[in-house]
Amino acid sequence: MPAARKQLILLGLIVLISTAVLFAGDKKSKSHHSDSSASAAVAPMEDDKRIVHALNRFTFGVRPGDVERVRAEGLDRWFDEQLHPEKIDDGALESRLAPFHTLKMSTKEMVENFPPPQVLKAIENGRMSMPHDPAKKAVYESRMAAYQQRQQNKEDKAAVDNTPSANAENSTAKAQPAAVTQTDADPKDVPNEMSAGNDPSTADQRKQQKIRENAMYADLDTDRLLKLPPDERYKAILKMPVDERLDLAKTYKGPRAMQLVDDMKPEQRETVEAMIQPQAVLGELAEAKLLRAIYSNRQLDEVMTDFWFNHFNVFIGKGPDRYMVSAYERDVIRPHALGKFKDILAATAKSPAMLFYLDNWQSVGPNSELALYGPGRFAGRRGRFPRPRPQAKNRPSGLNENYAREIMELHTLGVDGGYTQKDVTELAKVLTGWTIEKPQLGGGFKFNERAHEPGPKYVLGRKIGEHGEKEGEEMLDVLAHHPATAKFISRKLAMRFVSDNPPQTLVDRMTDTFLKKDGDIREVLRTMFHSPEFWAADAYRAKMKTPFEFVASAVRASGADIQNALPLVGTLNRMGMPLYAMQPPTGYSMKAEAWVNSSALLNRMNFALQLASGKLPGTSLDPQALIPGPAPADSQAALASLEQSILAGDVSMQTHTVLQKQLGDPQISQRRLDDPDKKPNYGAIAGLIMGSPEFQRR
Amino acid sequence: MSITRRVFLKNGALAIVGTSVVPSFLTRAVYAAETAAPGAKRLIVLFQRGAADGLNIVVPHGEQAYYNMRPSIAIPRQSVLDLDGFFGLHPSMSAFKPLWEQKHLAIVHAAGSPDNTRSHFDAQDYMESGTPGVKSTEDGWLNRAIAGVKEPDASPFRAVAMGGALPRTLAGSVPAVAMDNIRAFAVGGRGPKASVASNTFEAMYEQSVDSVLHGTGNETFEAVKMLRSADPEKYAPAAGANYPNGRFGDSLRQVAQLIKANVGVEVAFADIGGWDHHVNEGNVQGQIANLAREFSQSIAALWTDLGDLAENTVIVTMSEFGRTARENGNRGTDHGHANVMFVLGGPVKGGRMYGRWPGLQPEQLYEGRDLAVTTDFRQVLSEAVANHLGNKNLAKVFPGFDKSTPKDFLKYLG
Repeated sequence: MPAARKQLILLGLIVLISTAVLFAGDKKSKSHHSDSSASAAVAPMEDDKRIVHALNRFTFGVRPGDVERVRAEGLDRWFDEQLHPEKIDDGALESRLAPFHTLKMSTKEMVENFPPPQVLKAIENGRMSMPHDPAKKAVYESRMAAYQQRQQNKEDKAAVDNTPSANAENSTAKAQPAAVTQTDADPKDVPNEMSAGNDPSTADQRKQQKIRENAMYADLDTDRLLKLPPDERYKAILKMPVDERLDLAKTYKGPRAMQLVDDMKPEQRETVEAMIQPQAVLGELAEAKLLRAIYSNRQLDEVMTDFWFNHFNVFIGKGPDRYMVSAYERDVIRPHALGKFKDILAATAKSPAMLFYLDNWQSVGPNSELALYGPGRFAGRRGRFPRPRPQAKNRPSGLNENYAREIMELHTLGVDGGYTQKDVTELAKVLTGWTIEKPQLGGGFKFNERAHEPGPKYVLGRKIGEHGEKEGEEMLDVLAHHPATAKFISRKLAMRFVSDNPPQTLVDRMTDTFLKKDGDIREVLRTMFHSPEFWAADAYRAKMKTPFEFVASAVRASGADIQNALPLVGTLNRMGMPLYAMQPPTGYSMKAEAWVNSSALLNRMNFALQLASGKLPGTSLDPQALIPGPAPADSQAALASLEQSILAGDVSMQTHTVLQKQLGDPQISQRRLDDPDKKPNYGAIAGLIMGSPEFQRR
Repeated sequence: MSITRRVFLKNGALAIVGTSVVPSFLTRAVYAAETAAPGAKRLIVLFQRGAADGLNIVVPHGEQAYYNMRPSIAIPRQSVLDLDGFFGLHPSMSAFKPLWEQKHLAIVHAAGSPDNTRSHFDAQDYMESGTPGVKSTEDGWLNRAIAGVKEPDASPFRAVAMGGALPRTLAGSVPAVAMDNIRAFAVGGRGPKASVASNTFEAMYEQSVDSVLHGTGNETFEAVKMLRSADPEKYAPAAGANYPNGRFGDSLRQVAQLIKANVGVEVAFADIGGWDHHVNEGNVQGQIANLAREFSQSIAALWTDLGDLAENTVIVTMSEFGRTARENGNRGTDHGHANVMFVLGGPVKGGRMYGRWPGLQPEQLYEGRDLAVTTDFRQVLSEAVANHLGNKNLAKVFPGFDKSTPKDFLKYLG
């Protein structure tokens, strides 16, 4: 034993000396060992640490070479540039996103291309007609057949009634792993015919048998189909009878659908997916979010877009919101990401996505014309005297407080912002009539005078005279400039960029700027950037990465090329952070305690190993390419080089020592007698570094 | 319904029938309890997130006011599964009826938080911290419920939550494990031996000076090792335990596996979302019917699955607040106040309603709109913590709560 201990001490010494030598001439790594005890609250960071810190906070992670680039440009200039994303070229990202057509579609176009049940019903009843374009027509036919089969299933089930699995279809819809298929709000809305027919308790056994047989034959056919070149495969699918296409959908559900569309042109792929798996097409949004975080040069713009989307959270699984969220992020959130708070607040308030998500579109003043006289065309206005019909059914007639409450609690004043239940009810009245033109068909904002509550309202001690739509605009402006809002937003920004419990002095300074500069977010961020608290030594790596930040930063550090981001989307589902699928309006927490637990940690380690070993589907990563430049002389040098590129050289002595010990493991050293020059397993080492405690922080 | 040992004991049937004529599967069930986790008491807490509409879940069908206030979403009298002539279950919750009849299921109506917030966020926070009105509480009541009795060889699975993130309820000084899926609970694959990567990470976190990650890392690897040897996945659901598809059913199935694998679970937590029915709530059918079915079937399956282990198990359900007594203009309900809690368990004196019913007449409603709270949710939880888990230090579990003495208990535990 004593001998072993001696060896250990010796080893430790060697480690210390070798690391000291390795980094002695390296100016980049002045702070090789992060020493928490030395970090007094007032001590500022050293120069290169400042660059790493800024990159950690204003981007989705440090890429190899980033520190050098920012040093060359100057930190202040780089930050200023990031504050003006319109001046930064992002052509490479644009071409990556080019195949995703839905990103450019209006909500209306989305509805047209991926017909929801309402549209299919309208066609079935002859109220709308089938499109002429052959590809589109094929999509509609497929969806229609699926829709009809679903209706049929429902009837069958209603007949079978209360058996324990009578609800299987709905429950299965909820169990779908992909975030974008979540549908807690209204399971009926989601096309999910793939699960239909799998219900073992359905009475009609023969029908089951037939479905099984069909699926079997579909299997045989698709085997042939898969062997066709992409173009012919596409044409063959288009030519298929609708029934066969349905079977195809059943056979090729989930990730297997990828095989069907392999190598097809993007528009062909979209058509096929729209036919058999519309959720996948809507998943483009989640893919794009990851690609932007990973590859955009406008990093701060992405960080802020993410911040505001989360602040003004909308759940993609709630009914027609699935069609609205693309436009919401693109037209409502992103343009104001670095703009003025009043503008983003006003834009969200009039967005169909928010109006639907928080139910305001259905809120009707109890004394409005609509509530009193119903939806009739001549009611109220034109000299006739229709009788009030308060009992009329099937139309909304009441106040809905949901949005009014969240706007104050979550969007502006904060829960301690000093408002009462009475204020909530009154603000709800102010916002009556703010609705959506045909929400199921992709319509936009509409003010419906007839649903608006008449009379003055009293919110936050202020009288709002009767002005229709203007009442809401007035109140939004009041809320946007309220001191409680300035404080609440400043604190939340400081929590994102500085620490979970940001210093009050910093929040006060940011609040001050918010109030003086008309809620200009760019100016508030600038104030933060130039505050000593932002650069305090104890702010360095003080923030725990959220799963999204962790995944994006790992890919950025690895330099991997993502061809298909869906596996990353799935990773985030497993990590408890499905994109666009946070159901409550609170959005995701950005505090450490929400994300540090055993399960999360294991998920992170496993992802790191998978990514760095080049085994993540849809991602190409050559582990050998993790080390740029000439091959390192030995595994020691390789480790140092990987620590440099993944952790900006700033690794704790503890982690470094553990890693160094592992270099001797045959799985990592890959030492072989017959091939003495075989390089160590860089991927394995990189995976271990990305799973280290240091890499979990930013 | 499966016949289990508790039923026999309660009815005295085993003594009467005699072992010679008891079918072998029953004797197996009788003796299984002695081999797995003898005497260990467990508390399972289930949270209905989004504020469930308690009035449509346990329906006061004896109150005309209920029908007057809910013209389109009330559950018609003839559809309600009657419990005691006044209350009845939502018809999609038929899975609960036998549990009620076997006197394992008790119901506390008009329970809730004294705080009047109608914010999901705050109300959930208060219920999970166990300190309504106090935001500065850092830990959760369920963690405090088992704190202070840390034994040197305490299991890392004393406190388990199903889900990707640790819920507020279980935050605190006792290490708690959150898992999405038992199968994924390992590093570098779930072989019989730990992978090289697993050992490396273990050493890294073990030696880390990052206090947060060091602690979590240690707990993580301790738990991974234990789970590897206990192998809970080998426990298939018991006959008759039909978990419905969906996340909630999956969660409860895995809770049962962990309990059956005897990894030392004392408290478990799972949640089911989607109860925020502002619009088109439905009545006999529709959104609430589907969710109530999934909810009750999952819990009934867990109950059946636990078999004789259920004898030492208490399951409590809660939701952040109830919903408005009146339906709103969208055939839904808005945020309200009191709600219903279910208590299910071997030691529970079930088959009866607990708490005082405040009534639904306009003057009886809280703030003129909601069911009033007559039982503080902490009264219900206090009794389970003190008399089931055996932690009598309720002042620590529910600080500032003055109704946690035994005289305030509803005495649903026998």
